[in-house]
Amino acid sequence: MTLSYVLMQNLRRNPLRSVLTTVAFALPMAVFVAAISLVVGLIQIGQSAAKELRLAVHHKTTITNSLPEGTRRKIEGLDPQGRRLRAVCGMRWFGGRVPNTQNTLTSLASDVDTFCEVHQDAGLTPDEEQAWLRERTACVVGRIPAEKHGWKVGDRVTLESTVPPYLSLEFRVIKIMTEASRANYFYFRRDYLVESMNQVGIEDSRCNIFWVKCRTPEDLRTLQRDIDAEFANTPDETKSEDENAFGANFVQALGDIPSLMQAMAVVVVIVVALVAANTMMMSVRERARELAVFKAIGFHSRRIFAIVIGESMMLALIGALLGVVPTAALLTMFPVRRLGFVPLASLEVSPIAVVGSIGIALLVGLLAGFWPAYQALRLRTVDALRYLA
Amino acid sequence: MSAADIELSNVHKSYYKDRLEIPVLHGLNLKIGPGDFVAMMGPSGSGKSTLLHLIGGLDSPSDGSIRVGDALLERMTERALTAWRSRHVGFIFQMYHLVPVLTAAQNVELPLLLFRMPASERRRRVETALSVVGLADRADHRPNQLSGGQEQRVAIARAIVTDPEVILADEPTGDLDARMSEEILNLLNLLNSEFGKTILMVTHDPRAASHARRIIHLDKGVLERTEENPVRQPMAGARAAS
Ligand SMILES: Nc1ncnc2c1ncn2[C@@H]1O[C@H](COP(=O)(O)OP(=O)(O)OP(=O)(O)O)[C@@H](O)[C@H]1O
Ligand SMILES: [Mg+2]
Repeated sequence: MTLSYVLMQNLRRNPLRSVLTTVAFALPMAVFVAAISLVVGLIQIGQSAAKELRLAVHHKTTITNSLPEGTRRKIEGLDPQGRRLRAVCGMRWFGGRVPNTQNTLTSLASDVDTFCEVHQDAGLTPDEEQAWLRERTACVVGRIPAEKHGWKVGDRVTLESTVPPYLSLEFRVIKIMTEASRANYFYFRRDYLVESMNQVGIEDSRCNIFWVKCRTPEDLRTLQRDIDAEFANTPDETKSEDENAFGANFVQALGDIPSLMQAMAVVVVIVVALVAANTMMMSVRERARELAVFKAIGFHSRRIFAIVIGESMMLALIGALLGVVPTAALLTMFPVRRLGFVPLASLEVSPIAVVGSIGIALLVGLLAGFWPAYQALRLRTVDALRYLA
Repeated sequence: MSAADIELSNVHKSYYKDRLEIPVLHGLNLKIGPGDFVAMMGPSGSGKSTLLHLIGGLDSPSDGSIRVGDALLERMTERALTAWRSRHVGFIFQMYHLVPVLTAAQNVELPLLLFRMPASERRRRVETALSVVGLADRADHRPNQLSGGQEQRVAIARAIVTDPEVILADEPTGDLDARMSEEILNLLNLLNSEFGKTILMVTHDPRAASHARRIIHLDKGVLERTEENPVRQPMAGARAAS
């Protein structure tokens, strides 16, 4: 027999009371796991949206119509100090395919200087960035085509364009992109494309799309408005679109949700603590003489203190596990993909939520047990024993 | 384990209620030899429980000194007293205060949780203590499955499982009928004569007191008189059997 066994058995003294207190822990903890998971999930979405605050600027009519290369300068001219925009990157469809295959790759010739800044989700390391800037034939390939064609970093690969003038270009792979959103793309340098076209006597440096990387969701909105206004009533009217409208808006909305949740969580925690403290106080009062006998047997006051705290934390832990485990299991089996009209990348149980909820429960158990334990500590054996029977 | 003697010299004890002094013991002197069995009688409020608590180190005297075996209690800290008590003193109370959710054996094992001891040694000690009080066959019963007399025997087993030299009993038969009281008193007699425990027992019942070797009378905080027990009842079987 161990002391923790004694603690467990003590919870059976008044089973109904223990069950009710346990439930008082279990319910909020179940909600906590779900709520914390949700917040963690939303924060992750928000963070990735915040990282990639991008506007796609293309020709107003269709995306296949191209815009002059100078469009980039004009967009940059809207915010010369770069207070709202961080970088602009022009791209041109190449429509390349691997020789002797049918499927074209989403292959894009991109501005050299701003590619890395605008497409941070490509995930280039500083060394890879250097390689991109140094090697004229550098290409950055998504995981899916790389696996399909067995390409590795360092390989030389050739793409044939399916649009005039049907260039065939050779590249060297400097990076395989693993990020899910980039897994299908093939990027290479636009200066390489322009020079190669010059060699066959074609002067064409127009772009199909300009990616505008913004600083904040607010900037993204104002730039979207300003850019389209700038090119209105010109031959090259533009349409600017938010790459991830929801994600960007969300970063702002997020500001309020967690603070509301925090306030609710604090209230719930206090209520649970009061319930648990009440349970422990009654339990200690009923057992005053028994605890006095423990002292007479040779249990030191501090050990009695630990026993009461231990019991309180045991209640908390059992309650937390009862709340957390089924909720976590349910969320794992049925991950929530959308919440009303809000799509979620995925609402899965986050380990932070599980550890956090159990941690909160234990903390509450500790706080709730403290005062009753202190009462037990101060219990004067002699007095407690005298007023018996 | 060798028996311990008890010596109190000039012990004073006062309680304070709202800064008002309530004197309970006034310069009490008492000697109890090793292996003695002393009954203490006296009117309610005369300070019997107070004295018992002082000897067991549950409370400290206002003045005077108390020695139990080698231990000088008034020199010890509360922490040291607690540790000392767990090894050297067994308390028995009128109400048994067993833990209702533990079995008899587990209740008896409680004091051993304070010691580093292999599980097998623990089990052996619990079995021994339960068989001394005649409850080996009730080891797995919970307190509510036992009679009052059996509960008190479990409490006695709990008091002796650490093999203390001194047993302090505060009206151990106060809540029991005559037959059950007799069982408990025979048990205390056995612990005294066979195991050499020094026993101090508070009682209101002259019949219970008649089991002791010596009876002391406490009144208004002083020892009124001491008598050798002229009619110490013969042990009802335990001794004859051994
Ligand atoms: N904490 C306390 N504060 C004030 N007075 C106390 C306190 N504890 C005990 N007393 C008083 O000390 C006196 C002795 O009490 P004690 O319990 O030792 O008597 P007793 O002889 O054991 O009586 P009984 O036979 O009823 O058990 C009583 O008058 C009691 O009221
Ligand atoms: Mg008393």
